[in-house]
Amino acid sequence: MFIEKLKEAVRKILPEVDVVIGYRQGFDPLHATPYFLDKPEQVDQLIWNPLCVQNLCSYIPFLKGKVGVIVKGCDSRAIVQYMQEKLITRENIKVIGVPCLRVISVKKVMAAINQQTVQEVTFEGDNIIVKIPEGPKTIPSADVAPRKCATCQLATPLQYDVLAGEAIQSNKPQDTFEETKEFEKLSLEERRAYWEKEFDRCIRCYACRNACPMCICQDKCIAESRDPHWTSQRANVTEKAMFHMIHGLHLAGRCISCEECERVCPMDIPVAKIKKKISMDLKELFGYEAGMNPDDTPPMYTFKVEEATIEEHEI
Amino acid sequence: MADTGFLPKENLPALLEALSKKFAVFAPVLDGEVVLFKRFAPGATLCLTRPANLPPKGIIFPQSETLFNFNFKKDPEDPKKTSLELKENLDFVPTIIFGSRPCDAQGFRIYDRVYLETDTADPYYKGRREKTTIITLACNAPSPGCFCTSVGRGPAESDGSDLMMTELGKGYFFEPMTEKGKEIFKDSLFEDGSAYKEQAQKAHERVSALVKKPFAILEGTPEKLLSLFENSQFWEGETAKCISCGACTYLCPTCYCFNITDEQVGNSGERIRSWDACMFFHFTLEASSHNPRQNKHQRLKNRVGHKFSYYPKKYQGVIACCGCGRCIRYCPMSVDISEIVAHAQGA
Amino acid sequence: MSYLAGKELRIVGFLCNWCSYGGADTAGVGRFKQPTDLRIIRVPCSGRVNPLFVVKALLNGADGVLVSGCHPRDCHYSDGNFYARRRLEMLKRLLPFLGIDERRFHYTWVSASEGARWKNVVTDFTKAIHELGPFHQKEEKTECS
Repeated sequence: MFIEKLKEAVRKILPEVDVVIGYRQGFDPLHATPYFLDKPEQVDQLIWNPLCVQNLCSYIPFLKGKVGVIVKGCDSRAIVQYMQEKLITRENIKVIGVPCLRVISVKKVMAAINQQTVQEVTFEGDNIIVKIPEGPKTIPSADVAPRKCATCQLATPLQYDVLAGEAIQSNKPQDTFEETKEFEKLSLEERRAYWEKEFDRCIRCYACRNACPMCICQDKCIAESRDPHWTSQRANVTEKAMFHMIHGLHLAGRCISCEECERVCPMDIPVAKIKKKISMDLKELFGYEAGMNPDDTPPMYTFKVEEATIEEHEI
Repeated sequence: MADTGFLPKENLPALLEALSKKFAVFAPVLDGEVVLFKRFAPGATLCLTRPANLPPKGIIFPQSETLFNFNFKKDPEDPKKTSLELKENLDFVPTIIFGSRPCDAQGFRIYDRVYLETDTADPYYKGRREKTTIITLACNAPSPGCFCTSVGRGPAESDGSDLMMTELGKGYFFEPMTEKGKEIFKDSLFEDGSAYKEQAQKAHERVSALVKKPFAILEGTPEKLLSLFENSQFWEGETAKCISCGACTYLCPTCYCFNITDEQVGNSGERIRSWDACMFFHFTLEASSHNPRQNKHQRLKNRVGHKFSYYPKKYQGVIACCGCGRCIRYCPMSVDISEIVAHAQGA
Repeated sequence: MSYLAGKELRIVGFLCNWCSYGGADTAGVGRFKQPTDLRIIRVPCSGRVNPLFVVKALLNGADGVLVSGCHPRDCHYSDGNFYARRRLEMLKRLLPFLGIDERRFHYTWVSASEGARWKNVVTDFTKAIHELGPFHQKEEKTECS
């Protein structure tokens, strides 16, 4: 059983660190929740399944001492990006890597079962079986996976100190940004109307920001500061759009595409779409992908005297 | 006239249209995968099968409202003299909240004690509250994470509602609870409902039994939480996974804290009242830059404490949580307030 | 409301202190005739221009935003405009994704001696914005109005 290997790895790491961050069962069978443990007897509460969706790396820059953390391939890009930006001391982090081919989006499962209460969840082959009041429902995992999983190249984490299980190869095609390109085919008016409708739902709870592994300003975020006064407390679309631009632009060249922002949004706003567009442009202009190589320099932190890909614009 | 009524499902749009002529009607509408209270318009996709993602609190207590506009006027004869013009914003229209859930409606009862039942009632809240009629739909199934029966309430609780409705097969059973509710009830679309009363009662009992119970008793909980106030180890443990966003607070039907800011350009501007959340660092940040709730565990402690200790201590033991479960359901990290309370009871 | 209301649009210009602001000055000293829609904000360097300045201006009432700095290799601080170029190019590509016409935002380089060039930039950009028309038709301008 994989979970035994994981627990074994955690038991081994535990004496070397102050805390290990993993997952345990949440309030219902469909929800996993982050679990901070520091005692060997807590290890048995750990779980591992495709519903372990949260990116646990987000906690690391704010923790003192030595930290052990369970990391999936996609999450591991956060560790790499922290290293690029010197936000962590790598020696203080013990990364317990887990091979992963696909997680499952709770929102997509909930939509598939019409938001009913889940009594039991099991996994069989490549399916998730969800028991709801009217009986069990079998859903192919691929149908309810987040969009990042469809083009995931990191079945095995980029960084790990211990790997629970065997390293595996990704079996997914490269990301060609089809969804972004498709969206760009809409007219300007359609795109503006789309975002006005989506942003209108925003309640400015800042969950997208606080869950973001790269939003390290947190309490010092300019979205909440009175001086400078970037946004007011009005609840109109202008202010909401402004916040999402602050979030998006501050992540240019830093966003690791974990899509936590979109996963956590209680209003189901596709905020990762903006970051995806920025990532696409960065790849095109500077051939850069965030969180892939600790020795890279984020493209907004550097320049070339002659930019081969940037042409002067005519008015 | 009968005490109770019945409305076949196919007549529901007709009822809402009739009400829309006299009131601003807000009803739960599907927007993508999200259910939100929106101004009812014929043809809207009503969604009554599950509670709205965002409770209807914003209809009476808006996320952001202009309290008044101000304008400094300079005397053209003597520029050193300025006078101040104020324009208050106290026009409220008769409103109906249709299809709220019992927990949503009780949220307003929590607000009432703070904003109405004091020596200085809040004119903005009072204005809207008095002009709003709340038509509540009893739940016919628990939602993920909800626990209303544990906080002394229930899926058919009528406190806070003007008119209760219960879904029964082909239609809805209606029971007015207040004078405001009876006004609505006069509409000719309603049939006599006395034959359905017993059936509705049974439905309420059935659902009530299905709601999960994370803690058995609440007696002594306010004192217990107070005794844990200085125990930062307990709170740090409970809140380690919290990311200190405001999702729980903004989605909560009983959270009523606000911020007041002035937005001024040139000589004129407005005073805005907007939702604020104790989960934010800025909530308690003082002008001196000292912050008494520097860490997230202090903030979540306040949220739990306010609902389960400070509010009940002040208001005859009333728990300021109606167990709607939204903070659990939509928490990015699945922090479970009912679990924290249970842990506190056992600590 | 100015007497030019309806005729004039609101264009915001962020100009670096060392080159473009000087260029605009040169154009003025040379008495070149220029449209008057542009409101200039002087910044120390084009590298000071946070792309969010542009977004904030556009969202809050501007019909067009112009950023101008020293020519590449000419930056007073040697490399501020190199950073600006990358940031502003990213912004130029992002704006249309959100439904904002990228022609409403332009960034360019004008040196202190290029009075005539400055005149052309302002004239052409103002003309382009007038062709696009006002950006905020339906929305109430709450802040800068």
